Amino acid sequence: MYQGRSTLVGKIALWFVILIAVSWAIFPFYWAIVTSFKQPGVIMTTPSLFPWLQFTPTLANWSGEFTQRWPEISRALGNSLIVSIGATLIAITLGTMAGYGLARFRFRRWKNKDMTMWFLSQRFLPPMATAIPFFLVMKFLNLLDTQLALILVNATFTMPFAVLTLRDVFKELPKEMEESAWVDGASHFQAFFRIALPLAAPAIAAAAVICFAFSWNEFLFALILTYRNAQPITVVIAGVEHTQGVQFWFVATRLLIAILPPALLALTAQRYIVRGLTFGAVKG
Amino acid sequence: MPERSRVKYLFVLPGIIWVLLFTIFPLLYSLRLAFFQARLGKSETFIWLENFRRALFDDYRFWNSMGVTVFFVACSVICTVSLGLALALLFNRPLRGQRLFRALFTTPLFTAPIALGYLGLTIFHEQVGAVNTVLFALGVEHPPAWFSSIWPARIAIVLVDIWQWTPFCFLVLLAGLQSLPDEIYEAAWLDTSSSWDIFRYITLPLLTPVLFTVSILRMVEAFKMLDIPFSMTSGGPGAATQTYSFYIYLTGLRNFNAGYASALAYILLFVMVLISLSFFNRLRQIYE
Repeated sequence: MYQGRSTLVGKIALWFVILIAVSWAIFPFYWAIVTSFKQPGVIMTTPSLFPWLQFTPTLANWSGEFTQRWPEISRALGNSLIVSIGATLIAITLGTMAGYGLARFRFRRWKNKDMTMWFLSQRFLPPMATAIPFFLVMKFLNLLDTQLALILVNATFTMPFAVLTLRDVFKELPKEMEESAWVDGASHFQAFFRIALPLAAPAIAAAAVICFAFSWNEFLFALILTYRNAQPITVVIAGVEHTQGVQFWFVATRLLIAILPPALLALTAQRYIVRGLTFGAVKG
Repeated sequence: MPERSRVKYLFVLPGIIWVLLFTIFPLLYSLRLAFFQARLGKSETFIWLENFRRALFDDYRFWNSMGVTVFFVACSVICTVSLGLALALLFNRPLRGQRLFRALFTTPLFTAPIALGYLGLTIFHEQVGAVNTVLFALGVEHPPAWFSSIWPARIAIVLVDIWQWTPFCFLVLLAGLQSLPDEIYEAAWLDTSSSWDIFRYITLPLLTPVLFTVSILRMVEAFKMLDIPFSMTSGGPGAATQTYSFYIYLTGLRNFNAGYASALAYILLFVMVLISLSFFNRLRQIYE
């Protein structure tokens, strides 16, 4: 614990460092927002950081995004949404069950520890190692450029995360209530659905949010497996520079559209982020 | 209970089967490909270990991308962990608005790296980017042309990666600091009044397991780096920022050299296994 010996100078120094840290964290977002309100002409001629002082803000970029470019953007957002929700549903459903199973039952032939480690090892697998076979399999199944292909891939890559986080959560819930339900004649599924699931609901929701964000931000497989109809937002923003160099203004608007949903959503999962991202190695 | 022995499998098997189906088969398939001269859509010839020999002894692009990746990993891990530790020590005290700060530092983690790369493109733009705007304002007459020379391009990428991942190290290390027992500190403050001694002889040793975990996780993530160079520099100038994953992507999915790309992917897999073994041993104890 920190031993407080705060002088005025110490306090000022502390807040000064905090101010720098906070500006460093915010700056890219600030820059994106400011850029999105610049006129295209102004962007490439005058370097500027402050609206009103250095340039007159305009809504033109945003209105362009929501009018003439809206069909493309809304389709991409729709794809991202469907893919992320689909993948999250699969990953969380199977992940909750497996996490519960690993936390509550003892397995003999393959030990619990081994199965948990096996799920963990999946997170260490470089996605690049499976990209080519996935491409060939999806091509063979005629699933290239479909949302289903991306749902399957993202569910696979986020499920180990869900299993590990939720195993940890169920382990910390008291076992006694379920045990007494078993004694009263409830089946394992009844005990799971009526007792454990409601207790773990907040943690499950947080894990779902993180799975959603992972799927939303995924780029490599989206790039490889889609080319037109099923392109999610990450691939569509990757297309911005190819036409006429970098077009700052819609880079900025589009990036904000792509970045905000998962980043804001993740704030609701705060409590579980440390534990989740370290697979239970560090309790948050 | 007879039910017990069966039902428990119903809980874990669906997840296991799913992940097996979608990872083991692709991996086995690409293991096979690694021993073939195989171009997508054309005939395959079995060539034993030729792909691996070519990568290790006969491909300067392999070693270039490996070197670039190792450089990125080293910079990124060292900077994010030490910055994260500094911030965590700073915030590990009763502070007004701590929740707000933590929330603020959570957002970069969930920002799509591909989007961040494009944002980096505008931030480091030579004439009108944010960084050079500031440098101009500070009176620097010739700020670096970030994307046309080798080292500035590499540094720009590392900076973006550091921006994204320092918060991760910060959050985890802060959680680690907050879980350290208060009693030890109370006792220690009786013996010394030097906060450096406290840090050196108490905090650091106690925090070592967490530092280790963070470093390994960062290393593994950094080794996979692809999105940021892809969007920010396309691997350029030349191949100066072409990471290893990027090189595999180009080999397999732009040049359709599936056999060689699979061999390259297996080399990466091997490196990852080496790195993560020690971490796995630690987690084995935790997962008891």
